[in-house]
Amino acid sequence: MSTPVLETENLVKVYGSGESRFDALKGLTFEIHDGESLAIVGKSGSGKSTLMHLLALLDAPTAGVVALHGRPVSQLKTKEVSRLRNETFGFVFQQFFLNAHQSVLENVTLPLKISGWSKADRERRGLEVLTQLEMDDKAENKAKDLSGGQKQRVCIARALVNSPAVIFADEPTGNLDSATSEIVEDILFGLHRDHGITLVVVTHDDDLAARCSRRLIMQDGMIVSEEHGVLVDHHVDSTLGTETDTDDDTFDPSQLGLEDQDEIDGADQAEQSEGGRA
Amino acid sequence: MKSFDVAKTALGNTLRSKLRTFLTVIAIVIGAFALTLTFGMGAGINKYVDHVVEGFGQEDEMYVMGSQEAAQEQGADDEGPSEYDADGDSGEMTMMGTSTLDDDDIDAVRDIDGVESVQAIVMIDVDYLEGADGEQWTVNRMGESVDARALEMVAGDPPAQDAMELAVPEAWVSALGGDSPSDVVGDTVQLGFTNLAQEEETVEATISGVSEPSVSQTGQVPTPSRELSEQINEAAMSGLPEEQPSTYIYAVAQVDDMEADETSIKEQLTDDGLTGMTLEDQLGMIQGIINTVTWVLGGFAIIALVAASFGIVNTLLMSVQERTREIGLMKALGMSRGKVFGLFSMEAIVIGLMGSLIGVGAGVGAGVIGNALLVNGPLENVVGLVLFAVDPISIVLITVLVVGIAFLAGTLPAARAAKKDPIDALRYE
Ligand SMILES: Nc1ncnc2c1ncn2[C@@H]1O[C@H](COP(=O)(O)OP(=O)(O)OP(=O)(O)O)[C@@H](O)[C@H]1O
Ligand SMILES: [Mg+2]
Repeated sequence: MSTPVLETENLVKVYGSGESRFDALKGLTFEIHDGESLAIVGKSGSGKSTLMHLLALLDAPTAGVVALHGRPVSQLKTKEVSRLRNETFGFVFQQFFLNAHQSVLENVTLPLKISGWSKADRERRGLEVLTQLEMDDKAENKAKDLSGGQKQRVCIARALVNSPAVIFADEPTGNLDSATSEIVEDILFGLHRDHGITLVVVTHDDDLAARCSRRLIMQDGMIVSEEHGVLVDHHVDSTLGTETDTDDDTFDPSQLGLEDQDEIDGADQAEQSEGGRA
Repeated sequence: MKSFDVAKTALGNTLRSKLRTFLTVIAIVIGAFALTLTFGMGAGINKYVDHVVEGFGQEDEMYVMGSQEAAQEQGADDEGPSEYDADGDSGEMTMMGTSTLDDDDIDAVRDIDGVESVQAIVMIDVDYLEGADGEQWTVNRMGESVDARALEMVAGDPPAQDAMELAVPEAWVSALGGDSPSDVVGDTVQLGFTNLAQEEETVEATISGVSEPSVSQTGQVPTPSRELSEQINEAAMSGLPEEQPSTYIYAVAQVDDMEADETSIKEQLTDDGLTGMTLEDQLGMIQGIINTVTWVLGGFAIIALVAASFGIVNTLLMSVQERTREIGLMKALGMSRGKVFGLFSMEAIVIGLMGSLIGVGAGVGAGVIGNALLVNGPLENVVGLVLFAVDPISIVLITVLVVGIAFLAGTLPAARAAKKDPIDALRYE
């Protein structure tokens, strides 16, 4: 395998001190490889979001190292970290975080605006991405006038717009019903497959986790087990916590390809019908 | 983020909660309005004073008067009478708070280095002016020959200083038998007055031109040339067996190089018991007072602005609080601290700019209209009065000042915004 995009070593995050001290992460060491799709699963409060924030350079660990392409990020200047977040990473947050009063297009192109693109280029690229997500007809609508699923697609468009190498998604389907979740998942995995974007997904959703090529199962700030391979039956027991042996996974690459293809086709139909309703 | 986008986003953000922005802007408008009006009035009145004093003299002239101290000493009785000294200057009269000058004083001034020539100004009292047709007209007051140079003429020329000439005011033309001002130019007139023995004397003079009233109040009375006024004075002081010492109300010294010699001439005048004043000194005194008043009023306006700046702080702090998530998002998406700071400072600047543009605009409008109403209305009779002048430099300075205050007010909220941690902001409910 190639050198990891991201790797961590003995990652520790402690909130508060003294009486209120809380060890959110208790020494995590793992790697994320280029083009991988990784799910971080676990109970509420187990430290998933905390871990994602550290990986995405949104927060600094109390101890331990996060390295990007083999280089510890603590060595980077604030400016460089900001640039990385803007250009290398894309984010889909647990809540939508859209500016309600702004148009869909403005929301989507915010990273480009921060990056310093000209208005014309921003709009061209923004429309391109919205078209990709079949949201181009909503470009001029106010973000607040969209349905939940549409909002999530706008968030994905925003994450994509600066052509990131890695997309971090925190509960991308957390607020959505199962049908809409499916559409959003299809979009994410479509991007992962077609553009080779590395996916890091925090989720409670077993279906979503099952579609990832690897799962880290967390409990109380620790990785209790790791699973490899896409699960066909879409069933992952995140509370299992004992499955530390990853070698005997039912991972079949050929089956994965077929399975993925079917999923995407189905998704396309679903998406179109949804678009028709809108 | 490009600066243009920062500015545009800032403008958009301030327009988001219109009522709040409007109320904040109002406070600034009031300050900027008051400031513009105050400094506009200062500039206007100074301009008027400038204009008035310009008519009084030229920049290469120094006005020499008896020292004010001497006059005060003579006038004041609280220290008891001073001992009589037969050789002293006891014959001096006081006039308008300063003592008059005699020939010795004039000679002393003439001897000062840098003084080119001295013109002593006498007070002449003419009883009547007789036109070519023999009719006589009362002369209440004669002008001073030093004003001759600065007269504004409707016809003819100002009187030549070494000829027996005078200029008559426009209002006298018909009395002197002329239909238009040019009709009387070149006419010969007689000036009648009494000498010290109460005998009638007359002097003949030629009308060199017709003057119109100027802002400095000259040109409203007949103005003689120097030669003419000296002749009249000489004849008026005659009649007694003994020659009377001449007294002068003041003297005008021509100075070659005022800039270089001003201080040394003034020092020597002081040594001689005299005072010298340049045009600038005269202007300076009046303008000093006007400027002081302007600055005091301006100070109140600035206090209003400082009060308004707390409005900006308050508005922006609320805005930062409300937009915690938005700020967090922008930072998470890679916006640097500096740019976040810049964005919020820019909002303060936008508010300041709106306030100052409206305030300064309204101030200029109110000043110009008010000036027109007053000057063409109740104050119509004051020739050349200006109550409000538009001074582009002070307008720019006021705008810069207001925007500067707004920027300073914005730094605290902007620093708050810049400091926000994206994580805290994203967790903020
Ligand atoms: N700023 C903070 N101060 C103190 N404790 C915190 C802070 N942020 C998170 N925590 C705690 O850290 C733990 C992990 O939080 P985290 O948000 O990572 O959980 P999570 O696994 O994402 O949960 P969920 O699935 O509900 O989103 C929680 O117990 C939380 O209370
Ligand atoms: Mg979470």
